[in-house]
Amino acid sequence: MQTSLTPRSLGQPGILSDVRAFQAILGREWRIFTRYPSWMIALFIWPLIFPMLYILTARALSGPDGSGLVVFMKTTGASDFIGYIVIGTTVWMWQNIVLWDVGFSLRNEQMRGTLESNWLSPTWRFSYLLGHTGPQIVSMLMFISITALEFGLLFGVKLHGSVWMILLVMLAAIPSIYGLGFAFASLVITVKEANAFVFLIRGLVMIFCGITFPISLLPGWMQSIAKWLPQTYLIHGMRAAAFSNAGITELLPDLIPLLLFGTFWLVVGYSTFLWMERRARRTGAIGQY
Amino acid sequence: MIARKDWKVFWRYPLNAVSNIFQPIIWITPIYFMGKAFSTNGQALGFAAYSGTGDYMSFILLGTVLTNYILTVFWGMGYALKEDMDAGVLESNWLTPVSRLLILIGRTLTSLLTTTITSLIMLAIAGALFGFKPTGNTLAAFLTAIPMLLGLYGFGFAFAAIVLLMREANTLVDVSSFLVQGLSGTNFPVQSLPYWLIPVAMMLPLTYGLDAVRGILLKTNTLLPINVEVVLLIVFMFAMLWFGSWFFYRVERRVRTLGTLGQH
Repeated sequence: MQTSLTPRSLGQPGILSDVRAFQAILGREWRIFTRYPSWMIALFIWPLIFPMLYILTARALSGPDGSGLVVFMKTTGASDFIGYIVIGTTVWMWQNIVLWDVGFSLRNEQMRGTLESNWLSPTWRFSYLLGHTGPQIVSMLMFISITALEFGLLFGVKLHGSVWMILLVMLAAIPSIYGLGFAFASLVITVKEANAFVFLIRGLVMIFCGITFPISLLPGWMQSIAKWLPQTYLIHGMRAAAFSNAGITELLPDLIPLLLFGTFWLVVGYSTFLWMERRARRTGAIGQY
Repeated sequence: MIARKDWKVFWRYPLNAVSNIFQPIIWITPIYFMGKAFSTNGQALGFAAYSGTGDYMSFILLGTVLTNYILTVFWGMGYALKEDMDAGVLESNWLTPVSRLLILIGRTLTSLLTTTITSLIMLAIAGALFGFKPTGNTLAAFLTAIPMLLGLYGFGFAFAAIVLLMREANTLVDVSSFLVQGLSGTNFPVQSLPYWLIPVAMMLPLTYGLDAVRGILLKTNTLLPINVEVVLLIVFMFAMLWFGSWFFYRVERRVRTLGTLGQH
């Protein structure tokens, strides 16, 4: 008697097996994410307290009669200093969280001792990183929505632009933010302890990208560096979309560099991953920690 | 011995020292440029109306240095306990015939020294970049900071007890650290807080420590006369040391009864 068995294992080569592997990783990451509800507390508290440090300092700089605020409005062209600061600090937090979450995803797996065994399965290995990225993007969308909600309800920050335009700018920034995360995740597997690199990258964003001020206030050489960082365009574009009612035409000077940087960082991220994969197989670094 | 071990460990990772120097500079750089956006002809007049000085960077740099010490003492002991828990050496250390509080204090001695070294270097670099112009009596400011730091040891004991009990307190540490720093006026005069937050700030002893040290060194407007603030700091020092050690020993007894000392 013959039995026919349709093999449904991940070992079956082809696009479908890659999709199934991606789904499995996505499902696992989502389960881990929802298993630790304490993260939800951070989701509500961090969007509020991190910008507060800068907002309260801005309040002090305004003075009791608000004379400093008039100068700030004139310098920045902003109509709402809280909204202005919140957008900058939120972009900083976005990049920071991606570096810790996506950037350390493979490393955490390595520390748990499961990376090497997963690596042996006949799947598209890049799906390990992509699988981490899915729930991360969902949680970041929640994070940004909660930020908008909290500052809208508690501080009366009002949008003067289109939500769709804000989403468009964010969408254009996803490739560069996550591409950087992919490149970083691959490097971490090689150099192991990479906290200093996170501090360096988020430090660059903090100093050069104008999270609380317009970059026109920076000295010329610092402005030149700022132009090479995609977060500068993301912050500028989001502020324009949120508070100046900018349309696609006005946003193009931010959208085009974001897409170019995005392409660059995705290529760098993927190439670094391939390089790390080859190197790890040669040196056996996957199992070491 | 504990201090010497920590000293060796710290210098085995020189990048940590570099990070300790540059992290505070990175964090205050956006404030420096933001201050420029609020200034007219280089004068932060709004800030001066609250604090009595337009030199907001000296104000913030002094707050940053004091915060480094606050972080070392306040959170250092709890973190050290957590490290020992994770490394699996806490239970064996606990079996040695040494006062538990002495073990905790020992863990902060090296940190205090390294914090002094890295803060001085940070102050020199940040002073060159942003300007730092203290005009008051440095010795008087130093003596004023001592009761604040000793009082913080009491806070540190209580916090270490919470770590013993909860075993995982990172979110609690991060959030409360941020709130305490923010509300005690590390980066701004507390007079500028919204009216409903001022009573909260006035309940934090750190507020008076930061305020008094700035009042002496930078001649800023203080919340209360400096003498009164110093007396408050001394009262707070004794109260917190008593409460912190009482709370720590109470929790430690509970943890020993539960047998959870070796768990993490």
